[in-house]
Formats: sequence, C-alpha cells, structure tokens
Amino acid sequence: MKRILTQCIKELAQFRRDKLTVVLAFVLPLGMLLIYGFAIRLEIKNINLSVLDYDNTPFSRSYIERIYATNQFVPVRYKTGGLDRGEVRATVVIPPKFSRNFQSNIRSDVQVTIDGTDVNNARVIQNGIKATTNFFLQDVQENLPKFKIQADTRIWFNPGRKESLYIVPGVYAVILWVFPSMLTAIAMVREKQEGTIIQVYASDLSSTELLLGKWLAYFIVAIAEATVVISFATALFQIPIVDNILILIGGTLSFLAAAVSFGLFFGVRSKNQTGAVQGTSILGFLSAFLLSGFIYPINNIPYPISLLSNLVPAKYYIILTRDVFVRGTGWPSVWYIPIVLSAVACFFLLICSRILRKMQFSD
Amino acid sequence: MKLLDILLNSRLFALIIKEIRQILRNRQLIFLLLFPPTLQLLIFGLALSPDVKHLPLAVVDYNQTRESWELVSALKENEIFDFKGYQSDQVNLSQKVQQGKLSVGLIIPPDFQRQIKQGKTAEIQVLLDGVDANSAGIAQGYIKQIVNNYNQKIADVPIQPLITTQVIFLYNQGLNSSWFFVPGVIGLVLTLTGILISALTVIKEKDVGTLEQLLMTPAAAWEILLAKIIPIFVLLLGDLLLASTLGRLVFHLPFRGNFLVFVLLSSLYIFVCIGIGILLATLVKTQQQISLISFFFNIPIIQLSGAIAPTESMPIFFKNLSVLDPLRHYIEISRTLILKDVGIESVWTQTIALLIFAALILSLSISRFRRQLF
Repeated sequence: MKRILTQCIKELAQFRRDKLTVVLAFVLPLGMLLIYGFAIRLEIKNINLSVLDYDNTPFSRSYIERIYATNQFVPVRYKTGGLDRGEVRATVVIPPKFSRNFQSNIRSDVQVTIDGTDVNNARVIQNGIKATTNFFLQDVQENLPKFKIQADTRIWFNPGRKESLYIVPGVYAVILWVFPSMLTAIAMVREKQEGTIIQVYASDLSSTELLLGKWLAYFIVAIAEATVVISFATALFQIPIVDNILILIGGTLSFLAAAVSFGLFFGVRSKNQTGAVQGTSILGFLSAFLLSGFIYPINNIPYPISLLSNLVPAKYYIILTRDVFVRGTGWPSVWYIPIVLSAVACFFLLICSRILRKMQFSD
Repeated sequence: MKLLDILLNSRLFALIIKEIRQILRNRQLIFLLLFPPTLQLLIFGLALSPDVKHLPLAVVDYNQTRESWELVSALKENEIFDFKGYQSDQVNLSQKVQQGKLSVGLIIPPDFQRQIKQGKTAEIQVLLDGVDANSAGIAQGYIKQIVNNYNQKIADVPIQPLITTQVIFLYNQGLNSSWFFVPGVIGLVLTLTGILISALTVIKEKDVGTLEQLLMTPAAAWEILLAKIIPIFVLLLGDLLLASTLGRLVFHLPFRGNFLVFVLLSSLYIFVCIGIGILLATLVKTQQQISLISFFFNIPIIQLSGAIAPTESMPIFFKNLSVLDPLRHYIEISRTLILKDVGIESVWTQTIALLIFAALILSLSISRFRRQLF
C-alpha cells in the first residue's frame, strides 16, 4: 500500500513538472467546453425566408406579416435561385386571387418550398409554417367551427427549450472521457519509451503496484479536472444540479475511474506515444462523441451499431448527468450506472495487469 | 517526347519516385489512408440522425369512449410515435416521462366525450420530455398537426380550410439525414487524414535526421517540398474518390452537381489540408507530438465547420469565428454540389475563400519549412 502511494506521489510530481500535460489536463478541456457548449445548437433561430406574393392585397400581406411575426423567420427579398445559392432556407409562394378566392369560399394552395439539405431544420420550418397558417385561419375564417379538441402541451424540464441544457451535460462526458484517458496513456507509454520501465522491472515493485500507483495518480488528476470543468460550466451556462449531489459524485468518480483505466490499457498496449494518443483519441473520442447520444437521440442509431453503443461508457454517464442536471429523478432511475462504470474500470485494470504480469519486454 | 524526357530525368521526378517508394513501404501510412476514412464515413453516416421517429408514447384515458380511442389511434397511425400502451393513472405516466422512459404522455380527461358532444372545447394534456429540446420542439409540432387533422375530421360541418400549405422539400425529398451528414464527413475525412499524413511524412525526415542529407544534394528546397506534396496530393485524391464511392454506394448520395467541379474544388481543399499539415510539422520537433497537436487542432476545425450542427444556429461570436475555418467553406461546397444541380456559380464565395486559405497557408508553411532548413 505504501509503495502504491509512493509511486503515486512520484507520478504526480512528474505530472506537475511537465507543462504540456498540465495544459492538456486543464486548458484544453476548458477550451473544448466553450466550443461544444456554445457552438452546438441544432435549431436555427433566424431562418431566411422569402415570400413571393402574386396576390398583393391587404389580406395576403396580413398573412405574410403573421409568418414573420413568429420571430422564427427573417424576411429576405425574393430572388430566383435564392434556394440554390443557399441565401434563403425556404420560399413561400402566395397564388394570384388568394384573397378573392378566400372571399368566395374557394380553397387556395400556398406553395412552400424548403431547402431539405439540413434535414432537421427543414422539419422545423415545415412545422412553423403549418402552425402559423392554422393560427391565421382560425382568426380569419369565420365559418370555421371552433376546434373541439385543444392540446395543451407541456414540455417538461425545459419549457423554454434551451438547447444548452441538453448539450452541456453531454459535453461533460466527452471531455471527462477523452482527457483523463489520454493523459494516463501518455504517462504509461512514456515510461516504456524512455526506457525507465526497465528500472521499474528491476526493482521489487510488483506490476499491480506499478499499475495502481499510476492509476491513483491520474485518478486524482482526473478528479481535479472534473471539478474544474463542471464548476466552471455550472457557473457559465447556469445549469445547476437539480438532483442529489451524491449521484453526481458517485457517477463521476466511477466514470473517471473507467476513463483512467481505459487510458492505462492503451498505455500498456501501445509501443509509442503516437499509438497511445491515436488509440485514446480516435477510439475514445469517436465513441464518446458519436455513439453516446451526445448530440442526436440514441434511439436513432440503427441496429447493429446500436449494440455497439451499449459498450460505450459515455452513454451511461450522459444518462446520469442529464438526470442530475435536468431531470432530477434520483437514484431509482440511475442506480445501476455507477455499478456498470466501476465494472468497466475493473475490467480494463484486470486486462492491464494481465498484460504487464510478466514485467518483461515483449520482444 | 523531349519534354517528357526532360521531366523524367529531372531532379523533381527522382525525388517524387523516392517519396512514392517511401510511402508505399510505410504500412502505417497506407493503413491511415484506408481504414480511418472508411470507418469514420460509415459511423458518422449511420449513427448521426436527427430524425424524430418512433418516440415512445403512452396514454392515460380517463374517458374510455369511442371518441378518445379514435384520437389515440390517430396518434398511433404514423411513424413518429410508438404506442407503448395505456397507463393506469397520471402519476404513473408523468413519472415515466420524467425518467425518460416515455417521450410523450397523453392524458385524456374524464369529460372528454361530454365536452365534445356539448360543443365545448375538450382539453387534452400532452407531456413532452424536454431534455432533448430539439426533438421535443418537432414532436410538439407533429402533435398539433395530428390533433388539428383529427379536429377537422370530427367537425359537425365538414371543415374546409380555405388556405392549405403544400410543402416541397427541395434537394432531399425524403429528408434522408445521411444526405446531410455524409457530404460533411467527406470534408472531415479529408481534413483528418490530410493533415495527419502530410505532417507525418514531413516530420519523419526531420525526426530521423535524413533531412540534412537531402539538403546536401543539389536539389532545391522547393523541389524537396514539392516532391513531398505531389504524392500526398494524389493519395488524398484517392481518398476523396474512396469516400465518394462509399457515399454513392452505401448512402446513395445523388451527386447532382458537376462531379468534375466537385473534384476540382476538393483538390483545392486538399492543398489547404496539406498546407496545415506541413505547418504543424514545422511547429513541433518529433513524430510523437504530431498526433497530439493535430488532435487539438482538429477539434475546433471540425466543431466550427457545420459538419455536425449547422453553422447558422451558432451564437454570433462563433459564427464569425467559423468564417476562419476552411472546412466550413468546403462543406458548404460539397453539400451544395452533391445535393443541388448547380455549378460553381452557386459556391463562388466559398471557392474564393478556399483559394485565399490555400495561398496563405501554403506560402506560410513553405516559408517556415525553408527557414527551419537553413
């Protein structure tokens, strides 16, 4: 036990002395937090929309006014080919005789053409225009009987549909997976690359002690990292904890333990730093980014890739952070997550100790 | 013939042959050119999807009449919601929405039928899981439309809405989400691979120390560098074709614009990436640091490019910042030329931006490369 602690203290001293790793551990995660936290927004708020009004009557103009009154759309003068050049996202064409038809009870079709390139916002635009048209109708069409059913929708947790509430808890998972694992991998592989591992092999330190010492040191670094990142983001994005703080602590500790073990595994496996960085960054980053439900709903991942996403620890941690920062439903819905994550940590540690058991060079 | 002879005997040609041999011998490089691009393209294309479909829905029906059943079946009759059965009471339902087990909960009040029969407005309550703000907004729109349509169906006098909207989605009629992501991922693949490969080949010579030997030969610095750039460029062009083929075969991308223009503008972007790679290689000393530094360089490039989330929705500061991101311009080009039947005239601003980036970055990296030699 004492030897593990000594090893850990030595490792921390080494960490402090290397400027690059300190930057890696604290500056870059904060930079990433800012970029991800601010720049990922799925829904466009000010959509360029142009209207071609063949009718040009007070009636058609009041319809146009109603469309722009939603604050969703920004008026842009109609030009041919505007959609092709990407200047507008949608065009609305009001047919001739729009108002005369309306007065004589004849239906008119308003042509809406939407740029379908950005699939998500194409849907948002479609819903927006349809809803506005319906509201307009209810105001102007007198013979329209009152609708018998009124849907009273309540959007839970996030009535203002603030997207940061969805993105930021997910960013925690990406950052706290990628950086701790990369730091650990680099530290482990450095010992091999510089040949100092022979000295360790020659000493009476056992492989388990070596691994646990390194693990503990970087676990401590990771905790410091998590504290900095989460408290900074809480203040900056105003996303307070709405749940039992013990859930956040338990979940984060087990997630960090898994990340550090994952990094240790890559450090033990790779021969040089390039391999360690490539392994943790590409595999860790892509999985935490793409297969965790960070940006788009996890249910949309098709089979069989969806099976793969079950193996991604970040997926579980995101469920937990969204519960802690948004849902607030407490232990009953997330009790299994710290257990799963701790199991992942133990799994990687066991593999590491198997690889390193002989304490000899492989070649 | 004579021209060819001169070309074949030139120093530049000899250097190019040397570079090609070196690349072909490097198994890691070949691996980096083939494996990560394929994987990235497939995973990004398949896993990222903003579709709002199959949202789990459950209902508490306190009314249990023909009218309420019809309303529920109107909600069931589409791909958007997956009906997960009835719940016994409101508390149960709200708890499940709160825990995220259900995305939508519908509560039909006990007096639902009576209100309708008496010509009053019956209020139904819809609970939406708002954690995913984007999906919740779209789901809300769908529910309103479904309820409206149902209203028109049950009206005593058939309602003839006098204004209807006919919506056409241009360029992507089926709203196929991979058509949004894959053109972006092609740019992403070129960026990641291009920067890493060019940085690695340049730094290797520096790392091993053969750069001094090369410099002692009569070859000029520009010949050495050009001989490095040309084979990488050809290889990356191969990567572009690989990515386009995958996009065509797996994701059925339409490639409506002129393919030649697409390849031409992509080549321009490849030069930008090679320039960035060489620049990074001049900044660091060893191969070790290259992968690390390119990783951190890539994150802002990718994130500000609009490959994953649209640039229009970014806050103003980041939107302005994204203008400095060459990948953003390339992705706009590739999305336009792949999905729209237009030519270079629709993307000329982006083309000019790429030209400026290519000129700036390449000359900066070449001058830095030369300076560190002498």
